[in-house]
Amino acid sequence: MIVQTALLIGLVLFSVLAILLKDLLRSAISLAVASLLLGIIFFRMNAPYAGVFEISVVAGLITVLFILTIALTKTGDEVRESRLVNWAFPLVFIAFIVIDALVMKSLLGKVPALASGAESGTFGEVLWRGRTFDLVGQIAVILAGVLAVLALFRKREKHD
Amino acid sequence: MTNTWYLYLFFAAALVFAGLLGLLARRNLIKLFIAIEVVGKGISLLLLSTGFAKGHILTAQALVITFIVVEVSLVATALALIINVYRHTKSLDVRNLAKLKG
Repeated sequence: MIVQTALLIGLVLFSVLAILLKDLLRSAISLAVASLLLGIIFFRMNAPYAGVFEISVVAGLITVLFILTIALTKTGDEVRESRLVNWAFPLVFIAFIVIDALVMKSLLGKVPALASGAESGTFGEVLWRGRTFDLVGQIAVILAGVLAVLALFRKREKHD
Repeated sequence: MTNTWYLYLFFAAALVFAGLLGLLARRNLIKLFIAIEVVGKGISLLLLSTGFAKGHILTAQALVITFIVVEVSLVATALALIINVYRHTKSLDVRNLAKLKG
């Protein structure tokens, strides 16, 4: 429980750092560390498949995509952020944490969730039999993503 | 079990709120997208922890994996869009997108 709490605090800390840091490269790496911590939390919750996906895809692939974009847009780094943010962000965030701690316990009963009960079978059975439609949807989403990227990077035609 | 669930939900809410604050406060397009990613992390933590607390970890895992796959497609498309915006406006400032001329 203590290790899990420490991991969760680290996750929130690195996520906030990713938003607050001025250097884009550092914030991308903070995001990767946050994903890594989230993957470890998933492993400790007995969810190894989700953990593997989180670490390999989110911490690996998405970070590479972010760093590639940062490299391709290098001279656009100097966007002027408002000065108000630097002190207002931590203040509002800490205020929210306090409200969160006070209110969340009473909200727990109102969160809609499946009724408690033991599951039977393995992960593969649940994924292939119970959630077949999700898998079809995933294939459609990947195809849509590939087509979108192709459309965005297509070569200009002559009359353009 | 309620105590564990409370702990996870508390941190998931903090993550989602941090992401929303980042979306409100930042002007750099890549920073805005990093904030969206932080919101996504909060949501996947919420999904899996609810499954863990209620004894439906396998269904929750299937949902989280679906979410991650959708997230990757989203990231690829959005970053391609950001690069295109940068080529047009020579800047990553989101305020440049508000100019509707040409």
